[in-house]
Amino acid sequence: MNEPTWGEADMSIWEKISIVDRRIIFVLIFLGVALPLIFNFTLPNAITDEVRNTYDYINNLSEGSVLLFSFDHDAATLPEMEPMTKALLHHAFTKHFKVIGMALRAEGATIGNKAFQTMGAKFGLIEGEDYVFLGYRPEVTSAVLGIGENIARVYPKDFRGIPLEQIPLMQKVKNYRDIGLVLSVSDDDTPVYWINYANARYQAAVVPAITAVMATTFYPFLQEKQIIGMVPGLKGAAEYEQLIEKPGDASTGMSAQSIAHLIIVLFVILGNIGYFMLRRQKGIS
Amino acid sequence: MEMLGIWIAAFLTLAIYSFLYKDNPFYKFAEHLLVGLSVGFLIVIAYMDTVVPKVIDPLFVRMKLLAIIPVALGLLMFARFSKKHAWLSRPALALYIGFGAGASIPANMQSYILAQIKATASLFAQITSFGMALDAVIILLGLITVLIYFYFSKKHEGIFGGIAKVGIYFLMIFFGATFGFTVMARVSLLIGRTAFLLRDWLHIMN
Repeated sequence: MNEPTWGEADMSIWEKISIVDRRIIFVLIFLGVALPLIFNFTLPNAITDEVRNTYDYINNLSEGSVLLFSFDHDAATLPEMEPMTKALLHHAFTKHFKVIGMALRAEGATIGNKAFQTMGAKFGLIEGEDYVFLGYRPEVTSAVLGIGENIARVYPKDFRGIPLEQIPLMQKVKNYRDIGLVLSVSDDDTPVYWINYANARYQAAVVPAITAVMATTFYPFLQEKQIIGMVPGLKGAAEYEQLIEKPGDASTGMSAQSIAHLIIVLFVILGNIGYFMLRRQKGIS
Repeated sequence: MEMLGIWIAAFLTLAIYSFLYKDNPFYKFAEHLLVGLSVGFLIVIAYMDTVVPKVIDPLFVRMKLLAIIPVALGLLMFARFSKKHAWLSRPALALYIGFGAGASIPANMQSYILAQIKATASLFAQITSFGMALDAVIILLGLITVLIYFYFSKKHEGIFGGIAKVGIYFLMIFFGATFGFTVMARVSLLIGRTAFLLRDWLHIMN
């Protein structure tokens, strides 16, 4: 039997909806994303407790505190991770905190180094004194545990190949006791390692800055206060941009995000109505 | 040079998205290029950030000869490529598994079980408003019903089956929330590429 085609004359509206070409949905989603970006209109974005807690915690850290950023993601999720990285680094550098960067994913090394160089130059900071990027280490468990003992044993040299003992910033940082907050910028469950080992074993304060996909994984940790807060997805990044009063890519993208969601919800509702109407037409209870 | 990079990136973005219409040679070219580049990049990073600081530096620059033990154990892992010599990898593998299990079992027990039980048990002690009380009841109800759903030593029928069914509804809500977040993440990636095309390539977005 031939599959029904969209233009058949005796086809009901519900039948047409049930076999709508997926490429039509792709085009509508693309327009839903592109038009808000072109015409630059904004929709309100409420700030959630988890993002506010992160902001407040960083804001209340004592002067000269050291933050550890771990870039635990690949280039594929850069559109989600980059805005939150920029917002968090902006906040840290505005508060004159010292920042150490590292990566537990290979691609995270160059991504993190680029973010540090860009933001460091923007704030006129000196590499080695105000910030340092240590590079990539494989074997997440041993890297996270090793930092709890001595960071120089995990990273004898920084990303540029300079021994840690020659880097001024690293003179006063030995392990988690000298680090005010660990931020795992991640697109998978790597922050769980930070929670399991850095927090549970060494009581380090941890915040996962994660893709939206991973958000549900970390809400139980939030409820138990094993993490200070979290920055989930583009929405989390937009909230953080709002808190630091520096609207950027995430804030711009949120209106496009909302319109795309509305289109998807509309199709989900139409699809379900169509499904039930067709069942009724065919006499299936 | 920067303009060339933008044009190449725009071409590759469109080549990948062309798959949404149907499979085609442009998509295949971009996909193969991505795989090749990723592997090449990984090899370079692994060499520069692992082999150099963990093998070459300690053994040949700082002359720390003790480093030969982990290096030898690491090299033994490659014995798995030969059926005849695969047994040589067992000591290294055993050490790795032993370390992994020893480190992760107590940590996971603490984070996933003890801390979660503690949080759930103390929920009712922290109630200061009606909203918090409602939250606590829902969390406790979800915990108990989902646990009962995953208890398979008793047939799911009668009151027990009814409670398990409530557990399924909680699981469905969780799957829905996870799916919602997944859609959000994928749309975010589309926004990133669309913004690149509109702003950096076509210059029609501020």
